[in-house]
Amino acid sequence: MERGLTTRKIVIAGVLGAVAILLGVTRLGFIPVPTAAGNATIMHIPAIIGGVMQGPFVGLVIGLIFGVSSFLDATIPLFKDPLVAILPRLFIGVTAYLSYVSLRRVNEYAAIGMAGFVGAFTNTLLVLTMAVIRGYIAPGVAVTIALTNGIPEAIVSVIITLAVVVAWKKLDHRGNRKSKISGEM
Amino acid sequence: MASFEFELTRNITIGQYLPTGSLIHRLDPRIKLLAFTILVIAMAICHTYVGNFIALAFACYLFYISRIPISYGLSGVKPAIPFILVLAVLQLLFYSEIASGGTVFVDYGFILITSDSIRLVIVSALRFIEIIFLSSVLTLSTSTTQITHGIESLLDPLKHVKFPVHEFALIITIAIRFVPTFAMEMEKMMKAQASRGAEFGTGAWWRIIQRTKDVFPIIIPLFNVAMARAEDLVLAMEARCYTPGSERSIYAKYKAKSTDYAALLFCILFAVLLLAFPFPY
Repeated sequence: MERGLTTRKIVIAGVLGAVAILLGVTRLGFIPVPTAAGNATIMHIPAIIGGVMQGPFVGLVIGLIFGVSSFLDATIPLFKDPLVAILPRLFIGVTAYLSYVSLRRVNEYAAIGMAGFVGAFTNTLLVLTMAVIRGYIAPGVAVTIALTNGIPEAIVSVIITLAVVVAWKKLDHRGNRKSKISGEM
Repeated sequence: MASFEFELTRNITIGQYLPTGSLIHRLDPRIKLLAFTILVIAMAICHTYVGNFIALAFACYLFYISRIPISYGLSGVKPAIPFILVLAVLQLLFYSEIASGGTVFVDYGFILITSDSIRLVIVSALRFIEIIFLSSVLTLSTSTTQITHGIESLLDPLKHVKFPVHEFALIITIAIRFVPTFAMEMEKMMKAQASRGAEFGTGAWWRIIQRTKDVFPIIIPLFNVAMARAEDLVLAMEARCYTPGSERSIYAKYKAKSTDYAALLFCILFAVLLLAFPFPY
């Protein structure tokens, strides 16, 4: 992978950021799980995919876009707090990237799936930790939410990350639509 | 229900902008963003009753001077009311572990209601309404172009530590630009899937696995369409010799006037007042 920002990194960060915003505003990014924290979400998946495909900076920027849009669009007081809505989301793409890189040599598919899992887990863990620290929910409730929302989120995240990243990697062989200037993965 | 769910573009309020030409509209976007950040931080920290009521009054006053009907702000609060209520009850009943200080009102089994936990409930509800009002005023009085230019020029000093400011602003511009496009693509895909017999939002709410599975045939193609568009855009930009990190001049240059500085100073003073003044309650 090339160092620094390539055109591809900029564009992919922007486009996946758009997907994150879209999943939020259309409410399609929510899985209806009846708990105190409202719904489980799949809006963190663009950040994971960005991190896996284009590295930690892209993952971080998409996480930031996701955080800011969930902050501006929040209907739950919990997410109207920038420390809960924005800060934890920055790390989703970064941890996803790190777990992808560390497992890539073992097995490509396992690495992608693991990145999906770790990214979703990062989101659940950090958001709930911040929510407890900032005093929105009690520790006991947080553990319940981690189980009822965190587990479905992680499963869905693994499936979608695998499907999308594998399809994108194959794009080149079929259609040859990728630009060659800013380098291959 | 079904006909409503297909019209995704209608629900998108991003970039909603109400040009009334008021004092707030004419402020420098950089100043507005700075003032917004300062006020949100102050509101998020302030934990007194009086302080939060003053902040709420201030947020309402902002609607008045920006000549935006306050109904725009209220429409953001309305869908949140059930959540606020549920959260309030939960906080009241289960928060005793941390907010156990103050006078004890009810102490029955695991239920412990104290003056501290009541304060927590009321203050977090007020804080929520304040921040919704404030962000509505910001987005309704500032166009998306102004916001991105504002962010770019605010982050300008970061260029000295090699932070890619221009690229960052470009990422945000691309993100905002593509939201309506993808909404249209998604609408098309939902209709295509529905015409082949897929069902959206018709399953009972307790069938969580079923409803989750319903999402896959939309989300995965959406990502694929997004990636294909991204590749097209990369190709188009590189064909026009776009080079990240090269020097560029700016089309819109902002120059802060004395009113801008006065507004900023006022917001800073207000934030200091909220945080430092010893309100009795």
